[in-house]
Amino acid sequence: MLILKPASHADDMEVDRKEEIVTPGQVITKDLAFMRGHGTFTLNEQLVASVAGKIERVNKLVSVKPLKTRFNGEIGDVVVGRIAELGNKRWRVDIQGRQEATLLLSSINLPGGVQRRKNEADEMEMRSFFAEGDMLSAEVQAFFGDGGCSLHTRSFKYGKLRNGCLVVAPSALIKRSKSHFISLSCGVDVVLGLNGYIWVQKHVFISPEMQNQPEGLYINENDEISMEEREAISRVCNIITALVNHKQMIYETIIVFMYENSLEYQPVELLSADLQKSLIDSAISQLEAAE
Amino acid sequence: MSRLELITPEGLRVDGRRPKETRRIYSRTDLLAADGSSYIEMGNTKLITTVYGPKESKNNNSNSIINVEFHLASFASGSTAKKLRNDKKLMENSIAIRDIFESVLIKSFGRSEIDVFIQVLQSDGGVLAAAINGTCLALIDAGIPITDYVTACTAGYCNEQAILDLNYIEESSEVPCLTVALTPKNEKILLMNMEHRLHLDNFDSVLSLAKTGCQTIYESLDECIRK
Amino acid sequence: MLFSKSFIKKTKKGSVIKIVKEHYLRDDIDCGIPSCSSCKTESQLTDGPYIIPDTNMLYHQIDLMEHQGMQNIIILQTVLQELKHKSLPIYQRIRNLIPKKQIYVFCNEHHRETFVKTEMGESPNDRNDRAIRRATEWYVAHCNKNNFILVTDDRDNRQKAIKQGLAAKSVREYVETLPFKDILDLVANHDEVLDAQNSFTYPEHLSQIQISAGLKSGAFHQGVLSISGHNFLEATTIIKHNNEEKTIHIVGREHLNRGIQGDVVAIQVLPESEWKSSISTIVEEEVAEDLNVDEKEKIDLVPTGKVVGIIKRNWRPYCGTIDVSSVQQTSTLSAVQSVFFWSMDKRIPKIRIKTRQAQDLVGKRIIVAIDSWEKNSRYPAGHFVRVLGEVGDKQTETEVLLLEHDVPFAPFSPLVLSFLPEEGENWIVQDKHLANRRDFRGWDICSIDPPGCTDIDDALHAKLLPNGNYQVGVHIADVSHFVKPENAMDLEAQRRGTTVYLVDKRIDMLPGLLGTNLCSLRSNVDRLAFSCIWEITPQAEILSCEYTKSVIRSKNSFTYDEAQARLDDPNMNDPVSLGIKALNTLAKQLRKKRMEAGALTLASPEVRFRMENDSQDPVDVEMKELKDTNALVEEFMLLANIYVAKKIYDTFPDSSLLRRHPKPPANNFEPLIKAVAPLGIEIDPSTSKTLSDSLDNAVLPSDAYFNKLIRIMTTRCMMQAVYFCSGTLSEPDFWHYGLASPIYTHFTSPIRRYSDLQVHRLLAACIGYEKDYSSDLVDKTKVKEMCDGKMIINLVLNYRHRMAQQAARSSVELYTHLFFKGKTLQEEAYVIRILKNGFVVLIPKYGVEGIIYSSPNPDEPAVLTLNAEENVLVNGNIRIGLFNKVKVQITVNEAGEAGQRSKLCLELIEPSIKGMVKPAESKPKAKKQKTKK
Repeated sequence: MLILKPASHADDMEVDRKEEIVTPGQVITKDLAFMRGHGTFTLNEQLVASVAGKIERVNKLVSVKPLKTRFNGEIGDVVVGRIAELGNKRWRVDIQGRQEATLLLSSINLPGGVQRRKNEADEMEMRSFFAEGDMLSAEVQAFFGDGGCSLHTRSFKYGKLRNGCLVVAPSALIKRSKSHFISLSCGVDVVLGLNGYIWVQKHVFISPEMQNQPEGLYINENDEISMEEREAISRVCNIITALVNHKQMIYETIIVFMYENSLEYQPVELLSADLQKSLIDSAISQLEAAE
Repeated sequence: MSRLELITPEGLRVDGRRPKETRRIYSRTDLLAADGSSYIEMGNTKLITTVYGPKESKNNNSNSIINVEFHLASFASGSTAKKLRNDKKLMENSIAIRDIFESVLIKSFGRSEIDVFIQVLQSDGGVLAAAINGTCLALIDAGIPITDYVTACTAGYCNEQAILDLNYIEESSEVPCLTVALTPKNEKILLMNMEHRLHLDNFDSVLSLAKTGCQTIYESLDECIRK
Repeated sequence: MLFSKSFIKKTKKGSVIKIVKEHYLRDDIDCGIPSCSSCKTESQLTDGPYIIPDTNMLYHQIDLMEHQGMQNIIILQTVLQELKHKSLPIYQRIRNLIPKKQIYVFCNEHHRETFVKTEMGESPNDRNDRAIRRATEWYVAHCNKNNFILVTDDRDNRQKAIKQGLAAKSVREYVETLPFKDILDLVANHDEVLDAQNSFTYPEHLSQIQISAGLKSGAFHQGVLSISGHNFLEATTIIKHNNEEKTIHIVGREHLNRGIQGDVVAIQVLPESEWKSSISTIVEEEVAEDLNVDEKEKIDLVPTGKVVGIIKRNWRPYCGTIDVSSVQQTSTLSAVQSVFFWSMDKRIPKIRIKTRQAQDLVGKRIIVAIDSWEKNSRYPAGHFVRVLGEVGDKQTETEVLLLEHDVPFAPFSPLVLSFLPEEGENWIVQDKHLANRRDFRGWDICSIDPPGCTDIDDALHAKLLPNGNYQVGVHIADVSHFVKPENAMDLEAQRRGTTVYLVDKRIDMLPGLLGTNLCSLRSNVDRLAFSCIWEITPQAEILSCEYTKSVIRSKNSFTYDEAQARLDDPNMNDPVSLGIKALNTLAKQLRKKRMEAGALTLASPEVRFRMENDSQDPVDVEMKELKDTNALVEEFMLLANIYVAKKIYDTFPDSSLLRRHPKPPANNFEPLIKAVAPLGIEIDPSTSKTLSDSLDNAVLPSDAYFNKLIRIMTTRCMMQAVYFCSGTLSEPDFWHYGLASPIYTHFTSPIRRYSDLQVHRLLAACIGYEKDYSSDLVDKTKVKEMCDGKMIINLVLNYRHRMAQQAARSSVELYTHLFFKGKTLQEEAYVIRILKNGFVVLIPKYGVEGIIYSSPNPDEPAVLTLNAEENVLVNGNIRIGLFNKVKVQITVNEAGEAGQRSKLCLELIEPSIKGMVKPAESKPKAKKQKTKK
């Protein structure tokens, strides 16, 4: 029998160490003063972890952030999704979460101005707005009782995505930041969906006039994309893939650094593991230097 | 011809363990590109568990359900019987695992389901127990909230002694074999499975030994997760 | 503390499978040496030199190991495991020895430092030897002393050990250093070099691989060697050929090729031109030369074969005496000499042993075990085990016959006795016993048994019911209440299988407290029973039957005579006597029905001895008589057995313990049919009914005994009745030929037969009495094992039953000879068998058989010659054929130094033939002469 040192159980009353790792069934605290957040539950007046992860304490709120989980959204999160099916005055959107999200017909921008009443004709025309398989960016508006989220695209930032390429990452690696719409210097835009779907596209210059051309929202064709633009897009995609493989958090700065470091290589070379590692290491050191 | 001594008079079992010792346990998580995955070895019983979910369920149920599929590789046991084990036994195991974990899951997610796939690579006794342990690890790895670990262990009774963690040789001789699954914190038993006859007097000692075994395994699994 | 090494790869027969096993190595295995400071295990070792034997030493020298001089032995796990594979019984013996002597078992396979991994290309044997050496090395290093001696007869191993700096000796070398005088005799002759002058050679045995190849291809057949009781150079074996069983004969020393009684051998059938005749010759033990069987007469040829290899030896220790002629008179008493040993069992050849005590052993019964039989040695080699006692001494002879028939007769161990009820003699039936039992204590129950019987198994009662029918009950002692399954007492009873009845002794299956007291249905005391109750019409129709556990209080325990007296006396009208009368009437009708259905009444020549009260010598002999009351008890016991059989088979069709009597094959009867045909009598063996009728009609008005004789002969044509497990055969095979019953079992004597106890347990489960019965009850294989078992494990009911019968017969024979000692008698006899060189007669008055040779004097030519076609022996006009009545003179040749056992000597008086009787030396009538050996 292996003699194992028993893992130290955190039976303490106070949870100070923010870096504490807990496992399901482990008691976090016996103090009732805390409120419980995600990843915990109460048992006999004790706060017990239900997932394996790090304890996060924000004032009186204790939650456990698991190491890996499906997307569990907050209201206001930017997500990138794909239409899975059409429903009754709504679309079901796959966002790599526990359930498919719902995009209500009343939550989108309709061509022809903002506030417009929906009529039956719109219902029939749903497919002309979003069809199955379309990519879109949206924001989480609310949650249903059963845990499913409701999305809206009521801003011109959001809407159907085109001219680009999808990269899938675990949702835990997407860092929450102020803006999830990144414009890189090379003419590439990146939409970091918090659910783990990342859209890399050709830069679109949004001019105020376009806001008044609502028909343009739902065009299904791509624009002309030049060779350099394609190369740039694929480079960024590979960088993000590299970050995913090495379990790095993904956010704007690191992408920028890595992009600069990777300019000397071909995009396809970026798929090799060693190169990825070295690029990531150098990016990290740059980050640390910058701090 | 020679009768196999499961416990020699010197107190050693066939593989050199003492009666109350479990086999070597080795486990790892997060191997595959699934929501959760684990690889566990209990002695020579090796299996991989993968978990997908929670995800959209096709049937509109209001509870989150678990689907468990149990597969035994054709090279897993000694004889190369192809798909011989695709029978009731495996079905029973799947259903048992499903029931165990449904009771441990915290909240129902509504219209979502969790898929669990168990693939046995090598079977050397205690397959159900290993599968339960593996599933537990994989669920934790997938970040699915559960109230507590579930650990499982086999125990038997032979030559007036209770023995822990039976391997294939011991299982196939006429030793009653009890599989117990429980939650380590409050020692609530979730599963007890036995297909032999065991006298009631001996049952207590076997059960308590199995419980101890489960605790030991819990410690081992916990350490693995913490890594 | 430990880690695993999974490795072992093995292949199984047929397919190749890789097996991976874990093998944990530990640090917590102690060495067992008392002076060692780091190891704390208690062991029985003391100080002093320790020996580490290797496997072959334990295997071959087991008798040596049991000697008290062998102490301070360290047995390695490697050695034990190898021994277990080689021979399970010897392994068991070593295991039994371990707690008793100063032995310590060291688990070197699982000790980290002494574990040895198999190298590439190393044979398992070599690896094991290396493991043994490594362990010895470790011991020396661990204890810092060099008093560990590796003992092995393998020269190679010894040399390698010496090279490594270890002390190594051969068995003989070590034993010679011990201070015990007789211990050297026990050393088995294993690799002794035999004298080269003996140029006799047997054909080489084939190797196991060749044998298996031959068996598969059908060139060879496998069978158990069964040596003829009359001629130890002839054997038969039954082989399976084309799915039927055939008997193959093997004749002659060369063809027997060192096969010994009971060995499993590989046979090659000879071509037809070499087949022998079925008429056999009697060969006595002293004949050393081969009989040249001249085969001019090609009559009655039977398939003949020869032994080409031995598959499995089944040697056991044999009782017997030393051949005086082989003992040399020497002046030095302790010189080792080679002598010959004759076993009591005539089927075993002479065995050569080496001993220092040759002269002391002459005239004593001793036990010898066989070690080996090399091909250039005419006789097998063995070694002495121990002395039993003087030849001819009644105690010794009884012990000999018990040993020879493998009857366990040691007293019950304290462990067994610990399972008896605590109250012992004072045990009484209490209220708590009444749960689930019916109370029959007020009923008029009685038992009928032979005089002097103390273990009363059964009791009966009969009561007239208001509706004119009878309620009849058979109550059997409830042994299963006292003997619970699988405890030590149960296992010991299982091992014994049955109570053995010798003439003067009884070897009990269960401890006396149970057998003669607590279980025995004595009169006027409450006892527990298992009852069968029937409702029967006055015409003996069975209306219903029920089974229940009960408590009874027998009113009388009668002998057969006493019960008969009650029966015959019309004035006895108390309930018990009325009951007996009713039972008698019913029994007669039941019997009649059975006879009509074809039940057989056979006869045996058994007699009973009347002993002189103080001298224990038999005074007179009387034939056993059957009275009405005997038949009465028998009828109801049979009825109970049949009904119980049906009941348990109903509930447990797979695992009931039943008894069957297979129909004898027609050709068993041929010699008998041929012999009685000239007398005008027909025997029709096609069904038991026709046979029964033929037997009834086989009467010779001139000779009252004739019918009994025919019945005796018919009995010998019968097959043995055997126990079997119901799941192994189909229903038609359940038939009991002798009783003409479709199903039968033994239920009525649980005190003296283990099978009955098992049936009690089954029946108790049937009626729901035992809620929690052991799974063994329904396990088909367990029941089958109990019946026939494997050759190694001795819980074999059928085997024990046969052995008990043979032991009883041998005991009778022993007493018969004691009776005849010093007397010379003349009696009538009937010829029952014709042989090539003589004939066998049965003397009805004493129930004994004997041989009369064609040539009483071996130097002179035969007086009688065989006429094979008519199967008679002739001398001039006188013909001697089957069933002829003759007159013989009986004397006894006592077992002396030269002889084996006392033998009955017979001489033919009438018809008087010159040369058949030796002329007297100085007496007028030529009658009282002891003839040849």
